[in-house]
Amino acid sequence: MTPCTVTTGFFTLGKCGVMAVAGCPSCGRALCANHITEGGLCPECAAARNQVGHPAAAAAYRRRTHRHRTSQEYSDAGWYTGFDSYDRAPFDPGAGANQDYLDDGSDALVDS
Amino acid sequence: MFWRDQKAALAGFHPLHQALVHERGFAATQPAQGWTALIDSLYRHAGLVKRGKWALPARTLDVLVPLIIEICSDLGPKGTLAVTADLRGRDVPGKTGPERKLAVRPPIRSASEAWVVDPWLRLRGELRDGSILEILVVDRERKRKITKRNPRGKTKWKRKSKVVQTIRVRRRLPVDAVSRVPATPPPPWIGAFVREGERRSILAAAKLTRMPASGQEQVDRILSVATEPFRWTSENRGIA
Ligand SMILES: [Zn+2]
Ligand SMILES: [Zn+2]
Repeated sequence: MTPCTVTTGFFTLGKCGVMAVAGCPSCGRALCANHITEGGLCPECAAARNQVGHPAAAAAYRRRTHRHRTSQEYSDAGWYTGFDSYDRAPFDPGAGANQDYLDDGSDALVDS
Repeated sequence: MFWRDQKAALAGFHPLHQALVHERGFAATQPAQGWTALIDSLYRHAGLVKRGKWALPARTLDVLVPLIIEICSDLGPKGTLAVTADLRGRDVPGKTGPERKLAVRPPIRSASEAWVVDPWLRLRGELRDGSILEILVVDRERKRKITKRNPRGKTKWKRKSKVVQTIRVRRRLPVDAVSRVPATPPPPWIGAFVREGERRSILAAAKLTRMPASGQEQVDRILSVATEPFRWTSENRGIA
């Protein structure tokens, strides 16, 4: 099976990983059924063309805008360029997301 | 549309949607699908309900919804997002603290101040990378009442108000996470702190002395502060 390599998440970054059924005609990345947007494009390519009708394209657009804006705000160039290279990086199953977590629930964020 | 039709539409909305209309807030914990169901319901509101009395509170669609959407995309399949939203505004009973007399000198005859504290948004998400993200937004208004005697001997009084907003974010890292100080400091309006423990926490806080002028600006401010704790771990920087 070829996994979908669309980037997911807003602060945490991950790859979709669901079985791909097509490729993006622009960048060639593997896409699952949920990540095919207008014209068959992947969400990132659609966002780059300001085609944000598909929810995943709108999400990609907002994430890019946020990364770009905050990398300037923080004078942290790598915050955006690193994301860019991540987004184009090959898919490595098992990288990033760690579902197996426990919360100890202690001391909540308390306003004083 | 008649009110009874609108009332029927309201009754069919998501329970938290109804709580927003009738109580101007809610507290709930649920996984991403639950929040998606609420947001789908909220998007149907404008088309079905026109009566002003049943309008969604300010900050619902332009602040609360965008924040929930972004954070839900970071939740794991089993992770939940807890939201406590109080969108009643500052002028409701219980939010104003005691009035305190201030020392004055002529021509001011008396002055008093009271603080209104409005913690209107609290979010807590169990993210898929194993970290816990918490966001707290509090508006504080200082209300002053001043009585003054003018040169003609007439007593006049006036009110002054100043509003500040604090945004506090904490990301509790996964137990074995590798983190390091980012190469650049946050912008001057954001402070960052680290709390060591079994799990390291990165805290970021900001105090806005000028209130955001739009929902978009409010969302951007909150997301800007929330960005800092994610710069500390390389996975989120995208350098994989
Ligand atoms: Zn593409
Ligand atoms: Zn996909």
